[in-house]
Amino acid sequence: MRSLALLLLMPPLFAQTGDSGAAAEVLRQYCAGCHNVKLKTAGVTLDPAGVTQIAGNTELWERVARQLRAKTMPPPNVPRPDAVAYSKTAAYLEAELDRAAAANPEAGSLPNLRRLTRTEYKNAIRDLLALDGLPKEMDFSLLLPADNAASGFDNIADLLYVSPATMERYLDAARKIARLAVGDSSGPVLVNYYRLPQQAPQDSRVEDLPPGTRGGIAIQSYFPLDAEYEFQIELSGFPRESHQLEVTVDGERTQLIPIEGPGRRVGPVQAKFAVKAGPREIGIAFIQHTEALDEGSLHTRLRTRGTQPAIGAVTIRGPYNATGPGETPARERIFSCKPKTSAEDAACARQILAALARRAYRRPVNDRDLHALIPFYEEGRKISFELGIQNALERLLVSPQFLYRIERDPPDAKPGSTYRLNDLELASRLSFFLWSSIPDDLLLELAAAGQLHEPQILEQQVRRMLADRRSDAMVNNFAEQWLYLRDVEVKAPDVFLFQNFDEGLRKSFERETELFVGSVLRENRSVKDLLTANYTFLNERLAKHYGIPQVRGSDFRRVALPEGSPRAGLLGKGGILTLTSYSIRTSPVLRGKYVLENLLASPPPPPPPDVPSLKTEAAGSGETLSLREAMTRHRASPACASCHARMDPIGFALESFNAVGQWRDQENGMPLDLYSKMPDGTELNGVQGVREFLLRDPERFVGAVTQKLLMYALGRNVQYFDQPAVRKIVRDAAGSDYQFAALVLGVARSDPFQQRSAKGGKQTP
Amino acid sequence: MTFVTKKSLARRTLLKGLGASLALPLLDSMAPALSAQVKSAPRLGFVYVSHGVIWSQWKPATTGAGFELTPNLKPLVKLNGQFNVLTGLSHLEADTKGDGSGDHTRASAAWLTGVHAYDRTRPGVEVQLATTADQLAARVLGKNTPIPSLELTVDTASQGGCDSGDCFYVNTVSWRTPVSPNLPENQPRVVFERLFGDGGPPAQRAERTRKSASILDSVLEEASDLAQTLGASDKSKLNEYLDSVREVERRIQGAEKTAAAHFEIPDRPVGIPEHFEQYCHLMFDLEVLAYRADLTRVASLVLARELSDRTYPQIGIPAGHHGISHHREDPELMSQKARIDTYHVRMLSYFLEQLAATPDGDGSLLDHSLILYGSGMGNGNLHRHSDMPVLLAGKLGGKFKTGYHFDYKLDTPMSNLLVTILDRAGVPIEKLGDSTGPLKLDPLAV
Repeated sequence: MRSLALLLLMPPLFAQTGDSGAAAEVLRQYCAGCHNVKLKTAGVTLDPAGVTQIAGNTELWERVARQLRAKTMPPPNVPRPDAVAYSKTAAYLEAELDRAAAANPEAGSLPNLRRLTRTEYKNAIRDLLALDGLPKEMDFSLLLPADNAASGFDNIADLLYVSPATMERYLDAARKIARLAVGDSSGPVLVNYYRLPQQAPQDSRVEDLPPGTRGGIAIQSYFPLDAEYEFQIELSGFPRESHQLEVTVDGERTQLIPIEGPGRRVGPVQAKFAVKAGPREIGIAFIQHTEALDEGSLHTRLRTRGTQPAIGAVTIRGPYNATGPGETPARERIFSCKPKTSAEDAACARQILAALARRAYRRPVNDRDLHALIPFYEEGRKISFELGIQNALERLLVSPQFLYRIERDPPDAKPGSTYRLNDLELASRLSFFLWSSIPDDLLLELAAAGQLHEPQILEQQVRRMLADRRSDAMVNNFAEQWLYLRDVEVKAPDVFLFQNFDEGLRKSFERETELFVGSVLRENRSVKDLLTANYTFLNERLAKHYGIPQVRGSDFRRVALPEGSPRAGLLGKGGILTLTSYSIRTSPVLRGKYVLENLLASPPPPPPPDVPSLKTEAAGSGETLSLREAMTRHRASPACASCHARMDPIGFALESFNAVGQWRDQENGMPLDLYSKMPDGTELNGVQGVREFLLRDPERFVGAVTQKLLMYALGRNVQYFDQPAVRKIVRDAAGSDYQFAALVLGVARSDPFQQRSAKGGKQTP
Repeated sequence: MTFVTKKSLARRTLLKGLGASLALPLLDSMAPALSAQVKSAPRLGFVYVSHGVIWSQWKPATTGAGFELTPNLKPLVKLNGQFNVLTGLSHLEADTKGDGSGDHTRASAAWLTGVHAYDRTRPGVEVQLATTADQLAARVLGKNTPIPSLELTVDTASQGGCDSGDCFYVNTVSWRTPVSPNLPENQPRVVFERLFGDGGPPAQRAERTRKSASILDSVLEEASDLAQTLGASDKSKLNEYLDSVREVERRIQGAEKTAAAHFEIPDRPVGIPEHFEQYCHLMFDLEVLAYRADLTRVASLVLARELSDRTYPQIGIPAGHHGISHHREDPELMSQKARIDTYHVRMLSYFLEQLAATPDGDGSLLDHSLILYGSGMGNGNLHRHSDMPVLLAGKLGGKFKTGYHFDYKLDTPMSNLLVTILDRAGVPIEKLGDSTGPLKLDPLAV
């Protein structure tokens, strides 16, 4: 009766916005029955009268607003408000919270020094020295340790540590990079070893290799000097006929090596030839031939390289007999002047080092900066000018001002008080956010002139930076981490259950999501398209896996999907469906958790400490439970139900994809039941139902994307006090239907991005 | 032990699969260079495995000496009498304190600290653990070795699959300070270079060392200047940098005095071996090598990290370890979990056998070492940090008697064992985490 009365009263109560009385009534009616001083259910007490004094307790009220938006409270089987009351109460609370935040801003805690991540270091080297694609022996995964990931992201500031072991690596990396960038002829012979996975198919053309070839490998490598290099190619398989192996450098054939057949196992073949210094693309592949003998028609064994001779590994060794450092982009970038006489040396060195230091330290340089570098130059200069520059560069690359992003608290800032970053600090925040790298000259100029924070200029710069190729980092650093796409690489689907899974498919999964997410970001589409876009990117291998006809060849291309295709959006992508599965079966729980955590930024709370174990439930009766039965009983316990009730229905609706993302109509001969129901009564029927659920209130999905962007941009967890900023970004982007650039711009303009809290002399314990 | 010349080693390295096949020759080739300067010193090793054990397969039926090897312990048959099994020890600080998830993260965090890892994703909570036992040892035992300690792993870090946002707790078991975890290294090649540099003749290496020293001097000066300009800002990250620079400086100064500075270095391992077993062997080889050359006396290795979902098709287990550990008393899953555990002990047995086969002072390397092997959980199915599997191998130069099964009163703090190990290794400490005193480890006292 009471709820009926409330319904009647509702319209007038909410007639004016900001009416605390109506909100208090909803809370009293639906929440305070459990969350009161006596019961304190889940440790939460909600005083309906408190809605007028939100400022003192924003953490709690943010949680309430969130639960109301997600309609996760009240729990199932308890009366709940209607949709209008839900949204009006949430809106009232949010408006109050936003007002409280404006009056008392909080910018969160970030260390004043933040070490570059391995990815940022790599990109910084690329942009500082025009050094792209290092030799395999100097791969960044070997040069520097990996960074700890938290909540998916590896750029979380407080977790970026340095240890003595890291410091040794920095010294080592600096030496190797400086040597390579300058083109030091006394450098050692590098041994670059490329092994092709046993399961990489080589029966057809490999993407990036010339048409008319079969199998093989495309290698982006860096050749330190103009010199000779030795190529050793290990082969596998027993050829039944003769083959030819082609070696290309930047697409030009340089070698054609005959492989005589039929015969015994072929040993490694070698070739040695001159290659110009710099980044080169090496192709090594077999010439495709279609003569009468056709080894390809033989049955392909389980996950092998194929039936024809294949390349097992390639070793590129060199340089030998170097003729000079060559003309590389790196040398062009570094040597902005070339002294003609030794009298010009000193001035030219200063010019070169000042330019390098400015970019590396991301601010105007002063005499002190040069003062630290010059002695290293002078030491090397005793042998040659170039060695002098190389030494100084090596020194610069271990400077704390290169390795750390530094944001200084103003001298008079009170601990905990909030202040605005200066323009140079803002420039670095922008470039590390959008490019995962150092600012370029234009950005530094605007910052040095004190103009970057001006709204119009800021917007121009954000748009310019998004249009720049360096913003690929938004795809392969931000999106890959947000969506856990890097986990595709470590998945090991069972060989016998999933015989169609191999390295080719794994690569295709990675490529598809990269291209798909990239298209949404790059074309500045609405982020909602991430869930719904009815196109994807396929090659023949992946199209077959998806059962999509008429896609031929190994090149990826954009393919329009038919109306209602299960493959639309992220939820239909094989990579995501695989990374949310176990090696032997699907997991509705993992998939549900993934959707809640990554697509709604609303992870299920951790299991309560007194979680009843599955074991206890099975005991007593002495029976052994099936997984499904055990889970059903597990969920029957109220402590488990509230979370599983949110996770599992989503996972069940996605059961039409198997553990490697393939479509299925049945499981173990039984028809699939894709029907499920969310706690608020929403019915999900299959993948389309999940998509509709996610976009029913687009602000929730868009808000989730925004939170992830903000976390990545700030390098810290997004907390309750950031929610007003998140809401503002979402609101401001609504006009453009949530175009990606609008969200990015919103983040760049937001207070958490432009401000910080003074740390106030806190020291390491 | 065969003598493999540098030349033949190089050929073998280049012509065969590079990496895996290198394992044994790597050790052998070092023998002549190293045997001259071996002296016995205490060595400590810590090997971590995740997700507990199946108790019936682990715990010996009888206590004291002469216990029968259980299925999990069978791979250690050749080492019988050279290790102890300890049961009943717990890390109750790894249990929740109402601060959310992370039974796994807290398990590896507490293993060598006895300290509760708080959920730092909550506002206002910052990373604050404790210096781990291996690092306390390294501060003393590492004073006179070029490398104070080695941190290794054969597992890959997962991006998203953690039970809290604090994934970093599961990647390592070693913390240099309460706020600085040591990132364990998983690349054999990098470990090798850490031990021996990146090659080149001795003269060239000496020149590099000299240059590094002057760079470190210079950045130390720069960082001190920088500290001045930071004013009231938080300097903890800068201090971490400064400490690291000083530590590397110290190491470089000591490096030229060691034997390793003067011998020819064999070719480096390239890449990670494709087969897990070979990978483990290679990493353990590097650890043995580091002990043997006295490059370090303290090392930790994560054989399986918490939440690892590694599959073991080589022993017929295609599903992931973490998933299997939640066996729900299903006999088939329990048997699989037990097989994984036995397999891990087999990897350990390789390591211990290498130590036992390496002469050191008046005995073997194992005689002068203490290797602690165990998990931060007892029952992985229930996430219990109670009654954890603990194995202690080696005599630490006579400081430990071996060959016993000690069954302690349930929930005796594991921290007590850590205190005892440190004490007997010559690193006396009063308290570690929740320790209540030393652990009695004398055959007659239990």
